[in-house]
Amino acid sequence: MASTLASKRHHVEDGTDPIEFCFEQGWSDGLPVVPPTEARVRAMLQAVRVAPDHQVAYIEHRAVAVTAEKVAVNAVMAGCRPEYMPVVVAAVKGIGDPRWNYHGPGTSTGGAGVLLIVNGPIRRTLDVNCGDNLFGPGWRANLTIGRALRLVMRNVCGSRPGTLDRGTLGHPGRLSYVIGENEEESPWPPLHVERGFRPEQSTVTVMAAEGPRQFYNQLSNTPEGVLTTLADDMRISGSVMGQPNYAVVLAGEHMRTIAGGGWGKKEVRQFLWERTHNSHAHLRRTHRMAGALQPGDEERLRPLVESPDDILVVAAGGRAGTFSAYIPGWGSKRSSQAVTVAIDA
Amino acid sequence: MELLDPTTEATAQRIAYVPRPRSLEGARVALIENTKFNSDRLLQKIGEILVRDHGAASTRMFRKRNASVPAHEEIVAEIRQTCDVAVAGVGD
Repeated sequence: MASTLASKRHHVEDGTDPIEFCFEQGWSDGLPVVPPTEARVRAMLQAVRVAPDHQVAYIEHRAVAVTAEKVAVNAVMAGCRPEYMPVVVAAVKGIGDPRWNYHGPGTSTGGAGVLLIVNGPIRRTLDVNCGDNLFGPGWRANLTIGRALRLVMRNVCGSRPGTLDRGTLGHPGRLSYVIGENEEESPWPPLHVERGFRPEQSTVTVMAAEGPRQFYNQLSNTPEGVLTTLADDMRISGSVMGQPNYAVVLAGEHMRTIAGGGWGKKEVRQFLWERTHNSHAHLRRTHRMAGALQPGDEERLRPLVESPDDILVVAAGGRAGTFSAYIPGWGSKRSSQAVTVAIDA
Repeated sequence: MELLDPTTEATAQRIAYVPRPRSLEGARVALIENTKFNSDRLLQKIGEILVRDHGAASTRMFRKRNASVPAHEEIVAEIRQTCDVAVAGVGD
């Protein structure tokens, strides 16, 4: 593809370290980047067979068009291989979707990261980790795809700490936050199929998300037992006054215990939803809900998420160990929702 | 070595500001509430000060859909029709 690249060119003198040059320009997330040369950027664009000026996403409230060229430059800097580029492009489309509502989670003091859940055959092609040490480190695809998305947010969309990224605390997942579902060992339909895609399609789901929280239950050999612990941990977590989504990541031992009891993802969602309600009285007493205690507040219940379907259940993580995780979302259903995008590979 | 710039290079964008009113005397004031807790109370106080100390004629509260989005079209159209100035802000 010989079309012209529009990005400004910076000449780095011999004797100047190009990595240090990138730091000095303010292009980095704090780690060294791969210098974005034209050859590397063109290889990245070649992998998705689109013109450099192709608009991948438009961030409405920032009035920013994200072009394939800028995605490619940032993917190079993140350390992506060219074949990862279709996943990065799909993720950028996801955060540009009005339902994800970029300006909220991309700016908020709440400091959400973007959790990327990869489904379908591309996980195996690219070696996206779905198993041991799920949240990392150790896998290039997981670490660089998520990093590329964050660099696009920083360099193209303006989400820079202290200006249009106002995160009070942020979290480590904001460097990269990518997991794959362990579809091969899962007894359940994968997330993308539940969300309307075909099994042979590859997708990425983007969810504005706090950090992962691990829970522990090595005593139970029933679905109810494992999920009772999880619900108890989840019930007071994140912003209990409003959550669009939760992701629940069930690792090997818990997955097998729950499936062994005959439960599917639907039963998991329903059980968790029913057992994570909080009384208005508790929310008021703990200063999460405004106002003085009202008659009936002990009995009046507020669910953690609006519907059981707002809990995304993913089978992933190591085979051994009685640990799983849950991940609170950001904001409310009106502010940002998880979006699943097909990967055009 | 030549490197490609990863940032959005600013393209010139003209923003037209309405001229600021010389005075608030007799002005109808729109208060745009962003739905965050207590934002309505804060704006109400500001509105009272504008009426009491600056001679504004009236205040009227408008509510955005949520804090993360701009005021929606219906609100903007209504404010254009019925108000002279607007007070808006974002914050926690």
